[in-house]
Order: sequence, then structure tokens, then C-alpha cells
Amino acid sequence: MSPDLEEQAAQAGTTVSESRLDPTASRAMAEYLFDRGWSDGLPVLPATQEVVEEFLLHTDRDPDEILAGLPQLDRHATVRDIALHAAMAGCRPEYLPVVLTAWEALSHERAARGGGWQSTSGPAPLVIVNGPIRHRLGVNSTGGVFGPGFRANMTIPRALGLTVRNGFGVVPQQLEQATQGVPGRWFHCVGEDEESSPWAPHSAETGVPAGQDAVSVVLTRTSEFIDNRSFHSAGEFLRDVADTLQRMGPWIFRSSSAVLVLNPAHAQALDDEGLSKQDVRRWLVEQAGHTEADLAAAGKGLSDRPFGPFAPDHFHPAITDATPASLPILVAGSPNAAISMVVRVFSTWSGQSFPVH
Amino acid sequence: MTAGILDPTISSTSRRDRPGGPVPTTQSVAAPQLGTLRGRRVGLLENTKRNAAALLDALGAVLTNTDHVDLVRMTKQDFAMPLTEDVVDGIIRDCDVVVIGVGDCGSCSAAAVADGIALEQRGVPVAVLCTEAFEVTSRAMAGLKGRPDFPVLLMPHPIANLTARDLAERGQTLASRVRSHFLGPAA
Repeated sequence: MSPDLEEQAAQAGTTVSESRLDPTASRAMAEYLFDRGWSDGLPVLPATQEVVEEFLLHTDRDPDEILAGLPQLDRHATVRDIALHAAMAGCRPEYLPVVLTAWEALSHERAARGGGWQSTSGPAPLVIVNGPIRHRLGVNSTGGVFGPGFRANMTIPRALGLTVRNGFGVVPQQLEQATQGVPGRWFHCVGEDEESSPWAPHSAETGVPAGQDAVSVVLTRTSEFIDNRSFHSAGEFLRDVADTLQRMGPWIFRSSSAVLVLNPAHAQALDDEGLSKQDVRRWLVEQAGHTEADLAAAGKGLSDRPFGPFAPDHFHPAITDATPASLPILVAGSPNAAISMVVRVFSTWSGQSFPVH
Repeated sequence: MTAGILDPTISSTSRRDRPGGPVPTTQSVAAPQLGTLRGRRVGLLENTKRNAAALLDALGAVLTNTDHVDLVRMTKQDFAMPLTEDVVDGIIRDCDVVVIGVGDCGSCSAAAVADGIALEQRGVPVAVLCTEAFEVTSRAMAGLKGRPDFPVLLMPHPIANLTARDLAERGQTLASRVRSHFLGPAA
């Protein structure tokens, strides 16, 4: 932080001597904010005009620019509003550009502009951070990448949730109709471990050159791990991944999208056999799927859809196509065990990363 | 001391002119009741949800028999979003009354109520069909739109897996409820 920002932070009361901290007042404040109905169920911080102004020092965006909204509810959130929500979520002021860029990214997602936040699916925004900003902000991309334990990873997506709740008025069991929701719905933020990846970063495949700070946001449902420490070849491991990708539970449309988060050891093993990221993608899209008869046996045949009918042995691919939009692949986590993750995409993803500002 | 704490539910946009124009402050009112459905153009606005079109068809078949209505079948492609102004204009031109359905999810139930209120504000009587599971979100949207009393015709959830026979029965039951909704309980 530059000296003038340090001075601002001190003025706004974020750094005070320990002797001036008042635990009783802090507890009372937390309870007050719960009572106002402004919390997602965890304590939030109070935001004042001074705090919001301090956050706004970190962006070149117009504070009055509308960056998020739900037109059907006639609710909109400006850069200033989002700064307020980020402050309440526990973000540090310098996280604000990531939160703002996340909303810019979400505004390009049809599902987020439409009914996603009100949906029975209860989708979770997965915020993916690339570039040197990971190190500046302390965005975790290695061990325990899906959390908890890292402030940036926990508070940046939480800020998005507080905009949905407080900014849009989409409150659970009211306008928000999640059937069961998604575990940790507002806590999905990962950095890509670009340094341990054998391939070009996710951001470079989706619109922002490698080495630049980038954010992409995918609306997702559940995450499912693939634990395979015993494979002998890339083919064995990819068959294991394909089995998870083709699971019928999430199968509700003709095909779907998923994010594949490979741990560095799995990525390295694939690279060792000469497979590029696109090779991996193409193999999985070709192999993962079910026949019409298989799907019909689970009540999920597609023959009665407008694009049907299908012969019983017709093969339906699980993933729509071999593009970074339908099957984004990134590298994150510790190499201490060969565990990777499939994250299910809600609806479709536009496949775009955005420069952070 | 809470004096300086900002309320996160109040947007900074509310303190100045909004790009979408002023928010209406008047209480919107219900459309007038009808004397008869005979010969009326009844719009069936289905929202692409599974069995929505089939259920509205079943309802329309009954109303054609009992009330000799003219059916106007329409599809709302983006079920989560409110109807655009030009689509509302077209519906008003082509229909005397409209049945909207089926709100059987979080976003489409709220949007169906928003559409119903928008059409009623333009003087077209509307029956909005939602499933019981989404009563809360239907009411929440009605409240947001200044019509907390807006009537929603609720039916058992779900409808996505109903068979053709179920749908025919459901259409029969709904027809009498839709008639009473438009004509009053005595009809």
C-alpha cells in the first residue's frame, strides 16, 4: 500500500492500537447488523461513508456507474453500492477491483442477468483470479484452494452474495427459492496456480493475455472431487474424469458445461504424455456421455424434447463442445495428493475473462 | 453509535434520477371484471416450462367447449424475465383476456406475476397460474410491484411430470377456477 493510502486507512480507523479495540462494542455492533437483516448468517462489518470512500480509492471506475442489476426487480447496484457491500463482507479495500470486475463479468452472463439468483438451483458464483494480483492480494491458488483460511478467497465472493441479498433484495425463502442451495454458495473463489501449470493460464484462453490481472466468474452448482493416485497413464486418469463428467444427476438439458480444476500433479502427468489442454478437452468431450437408452432408464431420456427423438443407442455427449467456455480447465491446489475437482456449471458460461480494474 | 452506518439495502441510485425513469408511486389497480367469456380472445401465454403449454392447451380446450372462446397461443421465450414493452403491446392488441403459466420455479413464478400486473395495468384481465411451492415468491413480487393483493391461481406442485391424463384433469379443474376468476364467483 502506498503511503497516502496507509494514511487514509489509518484515518478510516482500520488500523488502531490494540488498547483502543473494544470487544464489547464489537459484539454489540455485530448483533445490531444481524438484527437489521443485512447479514448472510455470518457477522458483517459496518460500512460508513468514510469506509466506502477508502475502498473507492482503489478503482478508476466512476463510483456512480451501474455495474450490476436485476431489471425484473428494478434493483441496480453502482460501483459505490458494491464497495459498501464489499466492506460489509470483510474485504480489504484493495480487493475492490476484483469484486467490481467480478460483477462486470457476471453482467455478461445471461443466467445472472435473468433468474439465476432466484433459481431453485441456488447457483454459486465461482470467481477465478489470474495474474500477479493473486500475489498482491493473497488470493490462494495452492493447498486448500477451495477454502477456508484465506481472506481474499472468502470475502470477495461473499461480497457478491451481499449485493444479491441487500442490493437486489433477493433473500432466501422469499425471492430466493433455492431448493437445497449449494454448500458454501458465496465462498467460491480460486486463484489459478499459473506457476505450477504446464499450460497457458485459463485467462489467456478466455480473452486476457497471460501475465495480466484477470477475473472470470462462472455460475456453478456442486463440486465433485476425483481422487486418483493410482493411475498408470493419462488415459486411465481421463477415463476417471469422464465418469464424473457424465454423471446423470446434473443432466437436465441436452448437454452441459463444467469447470475442471486439475491439481498440479494431475496436470503435469497429462503434460508428460504430451497432452495439451485442448487435447484433454477434446478427449473428454468425445468420451464422456450416455446413450439415449441409459438416460431413459433414469427417466432422463431426451427423445420427447423439441430436438428429439433419438434411437436407443444414440450417444449424447455430456459436455456441449470442446471449447474453453463449455469445459474451462485450470490448475490449482497442492501437488501433495492427486485430487482434482469437477465443478458443475449452472446453465451455460460465456467463456470470457476480464481485465481487473 | 450507529449514526454513520450506511444501509446496504438503499442504492445510491435512489438518490438521483434513475436511467430507467421514475418508479411509479401510484397503487396499480385490478382490471375490470367481465360479464362473459363467450367469443372473447383468450391469450394462453406459456413460458416454455415442461408441461406449461400442454396444461394451457388442456385448459383452453375446456374453455372452448364451455364458453366458445377464441384461443390465442403465445410463447414467452425467456421465462425468468418480465415481458418487454413491445410484447405487452402485441398481447394487448391480440387478446381480451390472458392466462399466464406456469410459474413453477423461483424466477418464472415471480416473472409471471410481474407480467400479470403489467398487463392488468394496461386494462387486460389476467389469470396467473403458479404452483403452490412458489406462493411466497409470487407474493413477494406482487408486493414489489405495488399489488400485494394481486390474485394468483395456485395449484399443486409439480407439473413437469404430469401425464396426458393428469393434464386433462388438471385443465378441467383449472377451467372452472379461471372462469370464476374472470367472471366472479357466481358465474
